Amino acid sequence: MGTLGHKKVIVIIPAYNEEEKIAAVIKEVKPNVDEVVLVDDGSDDRTVELAQKQEVIVLRHLFNRGQGAALETGNQYALKQGADIIVHFDADGQFLAGEIKNIIKPIENGEAEVVLGSRFMGKKSNIPWLKKNIIFPLARKVNRLMGINLTDPQSGFRAFSRRVNEQLRIEQDGSAHCSEILNKIFYYKFTVKEISITVIYKDFGQSFFRGKGRGMGGIRIVKDLILAKLIN
Amino acid sequence: MFQRILALIIIVFFISRVFWQKRKKQIQVIVFVFWLVFWALAGILVLFLKQIDKFVSYLGFSASGIDILLYLGIAILFYFIFRLRLKLAKIEKDITVIVRNIALKDEK
Repeated sequence: MGTLGHKKVIVIIPAYNEEEKIAAVIKEVKPNVDEVVLVDDGSDDRTVELAQKQEVIVLRHLFNRGQGAALETGNQYALKQGADIIVHFDADGQFLAGEIKNIIKPIENGEAEVVLGSRFMGKKSNIPWLKKNIIFPLARKVNRLMGINLTDPQSGFRAFSRRVNEQLRIEQDGSAHCSEILNKIFYYKFTVKEISITVIYKDFGQSFFRGKGRGMGGIRIVKDLILAKLIN
Repeated sequence: MFQRILALIIIVFFISRVFWQKRKKQIQVIVFVFWLVFWALAGILVLFLKQIDKFVSYLGFSASGIDILLYLGIAILFYFIFRLRLKLAKIEKDITVIVRNIALKDEK
């Protein structure tokens, strides 16, 4: 736990074959937080080697288990390290490290226990057409049906307080973890705040059918969520 | 008649295989019992096909008994696939737990 008045902030960066961006992302993130934890999700490129050169903690998954699994590994590590605030940050350079201070502020001030970055609150993001006009409006409607009223239904830039991290376990290994996290936040009735963030799309990444790593791609997300309901 | 005899020969062959595998200790008792019951049931159904025909028409089905058995077989197969998928998903979950524990232990 942080010293008096100071809250220990740990950033978790899940990465799968991100050798192109990872060094630059870590360099940008590092000055903004107390500790950076890279969770390598079974990459077969130089991601681990490049991250280790930046002198951050590297946790390695032996096989690719999906982004949700990598985030949960990071969460459990952060919990053991006594993090007061945990931030999830993407490895592909989509988010701006300078906005980390904005996302942790409401937790530091005691305004909220969960802060979610939103691409739809004013700041300009070059969101692909399919996502902006079909996937997100659809996801928002599904969320509203479940009582979740947020502007961004699938945000990957988020911050949790320690209390949230103690209770919220991510069980969805793939991309379905985004929906799972939102469901659990509302289930546990944590105080939530959305803040505006900038997202830079360098390629169109995830589609309906395919995505990078295990459990990615729109159809697979839906399949994972249904299977999870049946298993639990 | 010939078809039924052929079917019974095939069933007897599979039952003998099940006994042989059990004797060689290649299968567990529970697996042995399952397949024994399965093939025995198939044998009984083949022996009583005419009665099954009458029974299914009594129930209101237009198809013959063997057709109904085929439909039933497909339905059962679907159920097994569903069960397998659930089991697979559970195994995937376990693998993630193992991978995570190793990652947390070997922190670098």
